[in-house]
Amino acid sequence: MIFNWFKIFIYHLKQNKLFSFLNVLGLSIGIASVIFAILYWNNEHAYDQWNPEKENTYQVLNKIGMTGDTWSSCSIPFGRTCKATILEIEEITFLNSWYDDGLIKYQNQKIFDKKITVADNGFFSIFPFPIVKGAKTNILKEKNSVAISEEMAQSIFKNEDPIGKTLNYYNKDYIIKSVYKIISPSSVEPHFVFGGIVREGDEQNWGNFSYGLMIKTKKGADANTVLKKMQHVNYINRTLKDAKENGQTPEQYVKENGEISVILDQLATARLHGTKSSNNHNFPEGRGNLQLLFIMAGLSILILTLSLVNYINLATASAIKRAKEVGVRKIVGATKNQIIVQFIFETAIIVLMAIVFALAVVELSLPYYNTFLKKTLTMNGSEFYLQLIFIFGLVIILAGIFPAIYISNFETLKVLKGNFSRSKSGIWIRNSMLIFQFGIAAFFIIGALIVNSQVNYMMNKELGFSGKQVLKISFNYHERDKKTEKYLTAKQELRKISGVDDISTFAGTFGNSTNSSSGLTHNGIFVQPRNVEMDFGFLEMMKIKIVQGRDLSPKFASDTIDNWLINETLAKTLNLKNPVNTIITSGWGNEKGNLKFKVVGVVKDFNITGLQDKVPPMVFINLKTLKWNNFDNIYVKVSPENLPETLDKLKSYWEKNINQDYPFDYEFVDKGFAKTYQEQIKQKDLFFILNLVVIIIAVFGLFALASFSMERRLKEIAIRKTLGAETDILLKELSKQYILFCIIGFVTGIVPAYILLQKWLENFAFRINISTLPFIIALILLLALTLIIVLAKAYQVTKIDILKYLKYE
Amino acid sequence: MIKIQNLTKVFRTEEVETAALSDISLEIKKGDFLTIMGPSGCGKSTLLNIIGLLDSATDGSYQLLDQEIIGLKEKGRAQVRKENIGFIFQNFNLIDELSVYDNIELPLLYNNVKASDRKQKIEAIAEKLNISHRLKHFPQQLSGGQQQRVAVARALVNNPKIILADEPTGNLDSKNGNEVMELLTDLHAKGATILMVTHSDYDASFSQKTIHMKDGVIFSEKLNQRNVDVFMNAK
Repeated sequence: MIFNWFKIFIYHLKQNKLFSFLNVLGLSIGIASVIFAILYWNNEHAYDQWNPEKENTYQVLNKIGMTGDTWSSCSIPFGRTCKATILEIEEITFLNSWYDDGLIKYQNQKIFDKKITVADNGFFSIFPFPIVKGAKTNILKEKNSVAISEEMAQSIFKNEDPIGKTLNYYNKDYIIKSVYKIISPSSVEPHFVFGGIVREGDEQNWGNFSYGLMIKTKKGADANTVLKKMQHVNYINRTLKDAKENGQTPEQYVKENGEISVILDQLATARLHGTKSSNNHNFPEGRGNLQLLFIMAGLSILILTLSLVNYINLATASAIKRAKEVGVRKIVGATKNQIIVQFIFETAIIVLMAIVFALAVVELSLPYYNTFLKKTLTMNGSEFYLQLIFIFGLVIILAGIFPAIYISNFETLKVLKGNFSRSKSGIWIRNSMLIFQFGIAAFFIIGALIVNSQVNYMMNKELGFSGKQVLKISFNYHERDKKTEKYLTAKQELRKISGVDDISTFAGTFGNSTNSSSGLTHNGIFVQPRNVEMDFGFLEMMKIKIVQGRDLSPKFASDTIDNWLINETLAKTLNLKNPVNTIITSGWGNEKGNLKFKVVGVVKDFNITGLQDKVPPMVFINLKTLKWNNFDNIYVKVSPENLPETLDKLKSYWEKNINQDYPFDYEFVDKGFAKTYQEQIKQKDLFFILNLVVIIIAVFGLFALASFSMERRLKEIAIRKTLGAETDILLKELSKQYILFCIIGFVTGIVPAYILLQKWLENFAFRINISTLPFIIALILLLALTLIIVLAKAYQVTKIDILKYLKYE
Repeated sequence: MIKIQNLTKVFRTEEVETAALSDISLEIKKGDFLTIMGPSGCGKSTLLNIIGLLDSATDGSYQLLDQEIIGLKEKGRAQVRKENIGFIFQNFNLIDELSVYDNIELPLLYNNVKASDRKQKIEAIAEKLNISHRLKHFPQQLSGGQQQRVAVARALVNNPKIILADEPTGNLDSKNGNEVMELLTDLHAKGATILMVTHSDYDASFSQKTIHMKDGVIFSEKLNQRNVDVFMNAK
């Protein structure tokens, strides 16, 4: 029986090569998009799942009551007190929630690595990477111990035994205690784990939130209980004490200053569902992008649906061609079920081909996809193959059942009498599916247009500074105390290089905000402004404008002591009508209390972070005012002529005078800032590609459906022509319903497009408003496409030979 | 073999009720060769379709091999049909996409006949109908007469109890038409039960008995002289 089915199937495949190919192609695009989404989904959900302690391991975050910021870090005494007083906590570890990059030396080898972390002894019990060599416990007990990954051990030591060898990192020696094997994907995948994270002086400092903290609870411990107890530790040691110092009752204190609330994120779900920290540093490997994941999943399901609808539509439309066969089969004894099974069998073969095709498409485009996601996804794993089988089954059922039942319901008598081809059965379903396709196409076109204009807006937005021709060059100087001095010397010398126009610096980067922030209260208003510690002339070099007062200048001695600038946002937040000459108490203190500063100028707002964020309040002081030596780049303005030469000179100066161990690392400021909307540019590109795919599928579906339904009207057209209908009237007659479907589809697509894009735009503090323009363009585009396809087909149909169709029957 | 009593078929649309068959009674015995004649719309095809279980009656009784058919569900009807009835159509209704062999094989497939038996049966019937050399061809490659012979082969391959022929010569020229009629006569001579619908008096003359229908009722039955000749010839 199957052989018989197969013969018929092959026959039709050969007869309709183009349509069969397009059918397979359509389905395979749908399936490929789902495979892409699944690969991403699997990867994101695989993070930390290998970790046997994932259920009872938590990251500790703090929500700062005063500012509403969330920090993924804690203070040392807080962590230690929790460990000591809360029975449910089995183990804690302090670690950096980011990677350091730095130079590691072994004998004559210099290894520049970007995945270095620093932790304490608890690290390997929270992240139990298998130990390949060396000590299995108490690995990082001594401050001068280090554990290295298997691949690093291999690349540094080749066949030697690394255990007991000494690595030099930031001029300190560390002894290798263990070699571990990284299990990927994990929230932490360091190449080196150095011990001794706790700095002296921080052990009793409750206010220094510089340490990432992970805790592991005992089996069966209730997370809420632990959270309450940790909150209590905080209350006793911070709220109560601070209230006492201020001479307030704890209630009063909390009312005025807020309170820190502790947040626990379970490791098992932290990657995707964890609380986002304010600086976006939750784990060294970053957070999962849940929104992008949902976008990808949603779009892929939409495309699969589109291709399924397409398939169903074509299958039911072309079913007419199979009507006689089905009739005959029924006459010679086939039951309805046998017919259904036969047509599902055909769908199964097509789906199988589509899956093979889809796998090839995915395999070929995986490198691009990986670049897009910054991942290294591969197609393997039993889970993936199970999902593939599941998709296979699902697509067969969704695509196959409806046409099969539709065909099996053909009435034998009508079919064999030959007047079946003009029956209207199933037309409304096909038409509503066509409308649905138009809806999806409208959604994608509108979406792409809006995403595109937001990205254009971001690329062309006036940022308030000019990063053109300004280089940001890493300034790695070891002696932190002498950093400013070294910088000032370098500045003098660099000026002599031809092609260098100006040199300045500040403690921060454009796109990633400034390096520090300190809260202050003025007139009873609390704000947390970003600190801009800068060199004289910095604002001028970056073309940042002063709107009131003056810039800081070396001419005034007090400009390095107690004068500062504030930006417009800060002036507005503090309700200062005439900010110049206002004295504000800063957040920085010494033995005598908090330092007071006089505002000498107001700086025009500029974007220091990506356009997702509003402009934060800022204060501007000179490098020498606090002497924090907190900057790590030098900004050099170069003239566009002879740029390669200038760069060469800078490079050799850097290697000779600044730091010979570090690579000369530079970036143009405007390009650096462009990274803040890199993600959106990618989303725009993604939307563009998907748009093409969707439009191709939809156009093909429309073409096929129009062909089938017009060919069934050939007799009608022939009669109309004999009665004297002219071509243009016929064209109108044939095309008008498709225009109607197109408009209805467009209307159904508008609402979801508007809502979802509105939601997407909410990500941005600086955003466009949705105008009617994209909708109009989408409508025109859709109508034009429809008209072209339908009219072309209709024109072809009106050219038929009248006699042929009137003589028939 | 077939016993029809007071069979009525009414087509209803929203406004009109048309009686295609009213109160038909008819009996067909094993070995009969019966022709139904009548003008277009007299209900002859409807009657044939009801007998062939392709259509259902509004009222009355239809017994096939002592089994009551009226009221049988779709699945039961398919079962009865594939075991007992062979169809021959005016337009042959062969599946163009399948070879002659595959077309003849279809009823056997749906009756779950074993593969080895299938081959044997198909070859036997092809031999009998003189189309053995055409088994690998596709229907479109054959003449009309040959196509109709393939259709007859398909109708017979499963040894049906009765053959229903709906204007079997309607699409054929007289030479090919004659061939098919002789084939049917021959089958009848070998004991087959045949019910045929036709417009042609000439074709009807091949059968034993002709029933004339008009407006849904049988108004005359006559025995055909020609039949006697056939029997004489057969002897």
